[in-house]
Amino acid sequence: MAEEKKPASRSAAVKKLAATKAAGEYQKKWFLEMRERVEREGCDFAILNADVPMEIFRAMDIPFVVNQWWSAICGAKRKTKRYFELMRENGYRPDLDSYCAMALAESYDPDDKKLDEEGNPIGPWGGLPRISISITRATSDSLVKIYDLLARNHGGELYVMGNTIARKTPLNWYELAADRWEEIYDSDRLDAAVEDLKELIRWLERKTGRRFDMNKLQEVMDLVNEQEGWYKKIRDLIAQCHPVPVTVVDTINAVMQAQWQRGTRWAADHARGLYEEIKVLVDKGEAAVPNEKLRMMWLGRGMWQDFAFYQRFEEKYGAVFMWSMYLAMGADAYTRNHVEKDPLRALTARFVGMEDFLHMPPWNSSWFIQQARQNDIDGVVYMIPDNDVIALEGSYFIIRNLEDAGIPVLSFQADPVNVGKWNAETMTGMVEEFIEQRVIPNREKINKKSPSVQ
Amino acid sequence: MLGGGLILTIGKEVTASMSIRPCALRSEAFCTLKEAYDQRDAQALKWRKQGKKVIGKLGFDVPDELLLAAGMFPVQVCADAGKPLAEANKYLENAFESVVRAQFEKLVDGTYGELLDGLAISNSNDTIIRIFYYLREIHRVEPEKNVPPVTFIDWTFTRSRLWQNRCEFVIELFKQQVEQWAGRTVSDDEIRAAGKLMNENRAALRAMAALRHGEEVRINGSEALTIIGAGLFMDKEEHTELVRRVVEDAKAWAPVTGKRVFYSGANHEDTALYEKLEELGLVVVGEDTDWGDRSYERDMDLSCPVIRGIVDRYFLRTPTVEKSRVAQSVEILSGQVEATGAQGVIFYTNAYAEVATFNMPEQRKMLEGRGIKHMTFSRMTYPLRKNEGLDEKLAEFAAEMKGGE
Repeated sequence: MAEEKKPASRSAAVKKLAATKAAGEYQKKWFLEMRERVEREGCDFAILNADVPMEIFRAMDIPFVVNQWWSAICGAKRKTKRYFELMRENGYRPDLDSYCAMALAESYDPDDKKLDEEGNPIGPWGGLPRISISITRATSDSLVKIYDLLARNHGGELYVMGNTIARKTPLNWYELAADRWEEIYDSDRLDAAVEDLKELIRWLERKTGRRFDMNKLQEVMDLVNEQEGWYKKIRDLIAQCHPVPVTVVDTINAVMQAQWQRGTRWAADHARGLYEEIKVLVDKGEAAVPNEKLRMMWLGRGMWQDFAFYQRFEEKYGAVFMWSMYLAMGADAYTRNHVEKDPLRALTARFVGMEDFLHMPPWNSSWFIQQARQNDIDGVVYMIPDNDVIALEGSYFIIRNLEDAGIPVLSFQADPVNVGKWNAETMTGMVEEFIEQRVIPNREKINKKSPSVQ
Repeated sequence: MLGGGLILTIGKEVTASMSIRPCALRSEAFCTLKEAYDQRDAQALKWRKQGKKVIGKLGFDVPDELLLAAGMFPVQVCADAGKPLAEANKYLENAFESVVRAQFEKLVDGTYGELLDGLAISNSNDTIIRIFYYLREIHRVEPEKNVPPVTFIDWTFTRSRLWQNRCEFVIELFKQQVEQWAGRTVSDDEIRAAGKLMNENRAALRAMAALRHGEEVRINGSEALTIIGAGLFMDKEEHTELVRRVVEDAKAWAPVTGKRVFYSGANHEDTALYEKLEELGLVVVGEDTDWGDRSYERDMDLSCPVIRGIVDRYFLRTPTVEKSRVAQSVEILSGQVEATGAQGVIFYTNAYAEVATFNMPEQRKMLEGRGIKHMTFSRMTYPLRKNEGLDEKLAEFAAEMKGGE
């Protein structure tokens, strides 16, 4: 999440893709139009946790936002500090799951819908419309509380979807997820989650008066597959380029903003446009960092408060942060082919495993090692959230896996949201030391063994 | 074993406690319970020496009924405040709460590897779900570690018929695991018999609780925690019998006087906090924790199919402070305060396990509306002695409670 106060930084992040700008512009226009519609029609408006199947809402044409996307907008609009204060003033701990609690904090802001002295809206883009539907999956106890309070403060209704824990732990899930998705889950988990989805649909039909159309869902699912297919092509293209045409600074925002719009024609077209733009760079032989020497992987949530951080090691070391989970998730985790057989089951097979591949070893650790290999990674910088139970993910196993494969890892524990705890100088020094003492010597060792790899 | 000096009373070796009163220590039944509470591995070790199976429980939604039916000895996994956390610090990120870290240490350093034949983890909160992931992965990548075989009970506490049915499937899976550990099938009659035993145990504890918060308080908070907690480490039949005897003995114990306090929040595996409160002249008349009052709420319905009966007991009992909806948490606390006659409430959460704080603003409003005092202790750690400024804050609360007297 971006922040109100920029930490000391040597340079601003340089983003070069038109697709990034286009996504930023689109999301504001989309939000304002959506809010205008909610106000005009007086229709239901939903806030969803990131792992709630938004495709159902898309197919039923129920206006919604994804909570974590809205948190990013609140951060970008410099609201975090004020919202932390509002949580405190209302008796809540501002530091608990703050990444998910921005909309809740906003609901306590009496000025949210007002204008400032210059006539600008005080709430982010004028604030969220009244939430009539608040939905989360029971993936964490605190999420249920947050959505419960959100519903209460807006006078809306809470709906909680169930969550189950994987007994199966397929090490190669990323190879199976697109076409053989039935194999990666315990069947009973999928069965239960499909029934849960049907109950959600029935509840939404009653609540909103809208009808669910399976053909429309299939259309949405096909668009999602189309979009994610482009991300796979982009990821594979970047992975095979030496030097890479773009870095995580270019790809994270371009992908994530469109990911929240998945299932729309716009998002699929945007993903295609992103691919074409990067392909042109590749065809022209353009390099993000012409003196690329080291390829770096970023593990953990994006460093929203200091994107320029990723670029600080380019000139001095030729070290390029070229991998983050945001693009790779789209490439490997979201596509579910053979939708036509059973669109609800295919959709279930997407959302039911989101926690598994992100936060459960060995799903995550086996994927990271495969990705490190595909992308010829020289070193991994791994930010482990230090205040968030939801994001606990077996970092020991992830690090062990990578190190055992000969890939050096620098790990540190930090709060990805609280800019007050972020020290750009210390972090830069730590990564520089890591590059000098571990990544470069390791690269040299490999080069000696097989000179052709250089 | 817990820390603290040992005293010898009625032939039993029990740990000295400031709050356990001489009248309690004159009760042989109470001293036997206290011995089990203090010497937590003792009965499990005896059981194992007889060639019987001991199963550890992590989380408070592991059905004793199935383990008992299979002839196994269930024992709650607990922390040891004296152990350095070398293994826990190696495997666990900062955001694991302190008690769970200390429990994990014993699960990975071989302590429980030596004691347990199996470990059943229930998804009672977000943190211990992760402990399951990590232990499962340790088994896979570091099989040389002496970690007991692990199984997971994937309760889904979302209250709907769909998820209640799913829980029946989950408990059937757990039953199959228990049968595998036992090396034999477990009959419905055996499960009903175990359910009856557990219902009797819960009934005995409810009779004990009535002496905590009746018109006259005969059993103080530390004594109650000892009586309840002993059951997590001893034979259930013996525990039931001892609790019944304590209830009879306690009717003659001197009444405890002082302002009544209800405790809400983190589990306490020892009596340290209650002792402090009692030293300040407060009386802890109830709590919403699994090491306390919550453990004996709701019986198993023996008239329905056994798996459904077990699900009914664990799925439908009062939710924990973590699992309840906010409005529900207000209603629950209101009822508990009413039932116990509490004049004050202590909210207490450990750092990194503070979901319950989302309930508290609304709960405080309710208490204030009824003129009930409250104090909140958050970002706490285990063991209790590591919390700086706690004594001062407790004294401040006690003074506020006593104000006007």
